[in-house]
Amino acid sequence: MCDTLGVLADRLDQARPFAKHRHQKPVLDVVIRLLAMPGGIDAVYQFAPRLDAAGLFHGSDWDHPDILLSQIVGRTLESPDKLIVALEATSLLRLLAIAQGRGAHPNVHAEHARHFLTQVLALNLRSFFATSDEAERASGADTQLRARLLRYIADHVGLRDVLGVLIAEIWRILEQRPIQVGPVKEMITEIAIALNQQGSEPGSERLGAERLVNALFGPTSGCIDDPGIDAYRERLSHMDDAGLLREATGFARAMHDTGLVSDYHAGFLRFAAEHQDALLVPESLGLGQTGQDCWRHYRDLVLELIEMAVTVETPQSVYGLALLLERGVLHYSPIAPALSRQIRLRLHDAVRDRLGLAFGGTITPEARLLAGVLDVLGQPLGVGQGANPTCQSARAIAVWALNDPDFLLHLIVQAGEFDTVLMHFEGQPINSADLPAGLAAGAPIDADPVSVLLVPHLDRVYAEMGRLCALRGGDPHRWINPEFHGWWVARECLVAVDVATGDLDDFEGFVTRFYESYHPQFNGARPVIHPQPAGVAVTDANARFVGWHAIAILRAAADQNGRMRIYFYNPNNDSGQDWGDGVTVSTSGNGERHGEASLSFEQFASRLYLFHDDPVPPRQSISPVPRHLIAEVEAMARQSWAAERGNRPVTLVGAS
Amino acid sequence: MPNTNNEKGYVALLGWSLNAIDAVDRFDRKYVVVAPPWAEDYCTANDIPFIPWDFDRLNERSHELAHRLKDEGVDVAIPLFEETVEWAGAVNSVLLNNPRLLGQSMLFRDKSLMKRRAQLGGIRVGVFEEAHDRGDVIRFLKRVNQTLLKLDGDPNDPIHFKAFDKSGTAGHRVVRTPEDVDNIPDEEFPALLESHLDGWEFAVEAWIKDRKIQFLNISEYVTLGYSVFVPATPELEQHRERITEEIEKLIETFDIDFGFIHPEYFLTNDNKLYFGEVAYRPPGFNALELIERAYGFNGYQGMVLAFDPKATQEELDAFFPTPVKDAKGHAGCFGVYPRRRVVSQLKVPDETANDPYFEYHELSEPLEQKVTKRMAFGTHWGLAYFFGEDPHRLRDLLKAQEELDFYL
Repeated sequence: MCDTLGVLADRLDQARPFAKHRHQKPVLDVVIRLLAMPGGIDAVYQFAPRLDAAGLFHGSDWDHPDILLSQIVGRTLESPDKLIVALEATSLLRLLAIAQGRGAHPNVHAEHARHFLTQVLALNLRSFFATSDEAERASGADTQLRARLLRYIADHVGLRDVLGVLIAEIWRILEQRPIQVGPVKEMITEIAIALNQQGSEPGSERLGAERLVNALFGPTSGCIDDPGIDAYRERLSHMDDAGLLREATGFARAMHDTGLVSDYHAGFLRFAAEHQDALLVPESLGLGQTGQDCWRHYRDLVLELIEMAVTVETPQSVYGLALLLERGVLHYSPIAPALSRQIRLRLHDAVRDRLGLAFGGTITPEARLLAGVLDVLGQPLGVGQGANPTCQSARAIAVWALNDPDFLLHLIVQAGEFDTVLMHFEGQPINSADLPAGLAAGAPIDADPVSVLLVPHLDRVYAEMGRLCALRGGDPHRWINPEFHGWWVARECLVAVDVATGDLDDFEGFVTRFYESYHPQFNGARPVIHPQPAGVAVTDANARFVGWHAIAILRAAADQNGRMRIYFYNPNNDSGQDWGDGVTVSTSGNGERHGEASLSFEQFASRLYLFHDDPVPPRQSISPVPRHLIAEVEAMARQSWAAERGNRPVTLVGAS
Repeated sequence: MPNTNNEKGYVALLGWSLNAIDAVDRFDRKYVVVAPPWAEDYCTANDIPFIPWDFDRLNERSHELAHRLKDEGVDVAIPLFEETVEWAGAVNSVLLNNPRLLGQSMLFRDKSLMKRRAQLGGIRVGVFEEAHDRGDVIRFLKRVNQTLLKLDGDPNDPIHFKAFDKSGTAGHRVVRTPEDVDNIPDEEFPALLESHLDGWEFAVEAWIKDRKIQFLNISEYVTLGYSVFVPATPELEQHRERITEEIEKLIETFDIDFGFIHPEYFLTNDNKLYFGEVAYRPPGFNALELIERAYGFNGYQGMVLAFDPKATQEELDAFFPTPVKDAKGHAGCFGVYPRRRVVSQLKVPDETANDPYFEYHELSEPLEQKVTKRMAFGTHWGLAYFFGEDPHRLRDLLKAQEELDFYL
């Protein structure tokens, strides 16, 4: 078979670029059969650089290994299309050859290749270690191939780096403090299993790993041996006051360190609440002055919230509650009674079904929703859209939680009791129950409870508002955003693109106005008061246009190096994204608060296509924006998302 | 075209074939592709020299194309498809100042004229007739079977029905009963009818220059419409001398100075060679790819040499290997047809996948689940390729594929 592969590789090599694709399929057909044979992976590894040079990847994304995404490799290797599997496998093996100094590629150097492979291994740790599992083995040849391939790569690359990469990845995500921590918990569980099975050399990787594993499975000395929740409660009943206080402090430290809450912590807080211990509750929540103050004022309410919402099935609600108290929103008069109403809310049957479908479990949908309310109010910027095209709705929930929490609670009650949401568009009532499904065909079930409840309604209302102003021409967000979100959305709306033609429309004026309204140096140091909805043209790592995306501008401020940045909220689940041409969205280390994303002001402006602004009189007293700044931004935009502006039809209502 | 040499000829390829363009682009001569306008964007994007031309409209404009190519400096036009054979004839009669070439190309395009011409040249052909409607077919079927002294109720000997101007096995039907006749669509008339010959069917690929055979390959059919391999078994190759004489007769009869022909023959049980038909263009079933796999030379590049008036005998001698002796092995392919009426997935049978002779396939996942009934030869779903040293083993392996399911 290697002879055949040689002949086919030569044929592919000789073919002109325009004819390469004719010869790729035969090569892949041989590769996939070769991979299945004993020693086949090694044979393909030997061939891989030659196949790469011959043009096996010509015309596909794999031809640009520098922009390949390690996150999707695992899924590609599981594809039912064997040719795709062969392509991905060969690509990994040629990267391995590059990493080992056996091959070369103009766009990738050995270090990059090695890093990429390490990431792939880290992200597929599960399938990797599961190979000794009988069930996996029985389930088919393809998981076999994936596992054998990953093991082959690991044998060459070494596993120590893998752990390091995985841990760095987890910390990067945790820095953003997402409400949905399921995937992170899964990864940590895998690490725990890996450490257990493999052992690992002592070192900083191991320390970082243990910090994460302990935060989940044994954050305090009372539960460090992961005894199980019942045994732990038993232990608590025998502890003295000093021991209990030590437990409380230990839990609080681990929680605020990682944003993760151990099941033991939930158990502990219930124990503390049941015993009405005035010290242990605030201590285990790790409250600061504001939080302590709220706790003292609203003690009965808080105890009620704990009683109903904090369970071992909803441990994250502990973190939500702590941050809710710390934000001080309870001092805003409608919130405490609204939460009281929430505790007593009885859900509509359809809503109960939907929450049951999404979360299952043994606690009531009401408790599940209340826990979700605590999370959202505690971590407004932790809301993520899941795998749904509903960035508008997710953004709305986040900014309401941040800015208008009693309105959010009002909507939650409407939707919870009546399974509908009533909003108005320019005086005209819109009732979500009367409307067909919006952008998300089915109700999302991979999001937090509040999103599961509200998004189907918000999505429909949003689509209906779009329909109502579809005939007006221009960008519909001009009218929708203020009506949908609230009075605090500024009434002017600037759009960089002419909706009818898709061409850039006075981009220079657009950017100038953005600087004048948002840049403290040019707007008289006026801060952003309320989060403002805005639209960005998202680009991929090659700076190619991907689509329109809804975000919210939170603030403009100088970072620790004095560089002006825009801090914004991205409803996407992971804000850290590479938008190409050096525009990498940062989520920590540049002055971001948890959940914020940031870019330098000019980089942000270069991807912006829509923002809101107050209608203001000419700003005589304010310094003019230098033209070279505008020109720079415009050049960056034209090099990226605006590169092919001209004929592209723009569908703005579908923006996600 | 890094190696183009202006001392050498400038060729025009008539028709769109990516394989041909790729091969010629890698060769050492200047070329231009003449193909329908839809190919223009692709050619521009890939730096392929291109002249848009609509071959659907008939020949009145062939003169225009000829002069356009002449002004461009083209020396000769090479047809890649049946539909461009007469265009090439018309163009070359102008480029090479030889009006005879147009008439010659007409002979290649009309299976009935071709057969008569062969007969006139003393080449042995079977019984044949032209059919303009279904009545003609029925009459021929009856007459052939009467001749064979069949009685009413005896199963008929089949006859072959071939649309006049279609290539290869497209439009080729085997007719046994009046019901078969009813199934022939109107658009396949007029057609050529031939009596059935029992025997060994094979094809020849011959590159010709200065009325001389430069390279002659014999492609052995295992089953017509299913499988073929090259070089042929020793049993067939032992007739090479006679076959060569037959090709020389074709060269004389059809007055072929240069180019590439692809005739089909029958070797009957009484050891007689019958001429089937001949085409003046590359064969279907990727036979050139098989030849390349077996001998290592590219058939399209060979065609360029055979057509180019500026090519020298030294060049040709250096280009072509010695038949049979220089072959690295035997290469064959099998045309896969789904055997079931309803299919949902492609799965290469284990027997095939694990056979050391199996190389690769070009089959696609099924797009439709329901398999349309096969009416004529020549609508396979893709090819599977084989290569090995032993021609008999290869032949039996190809035959065995017919009994296997590639689509489940």
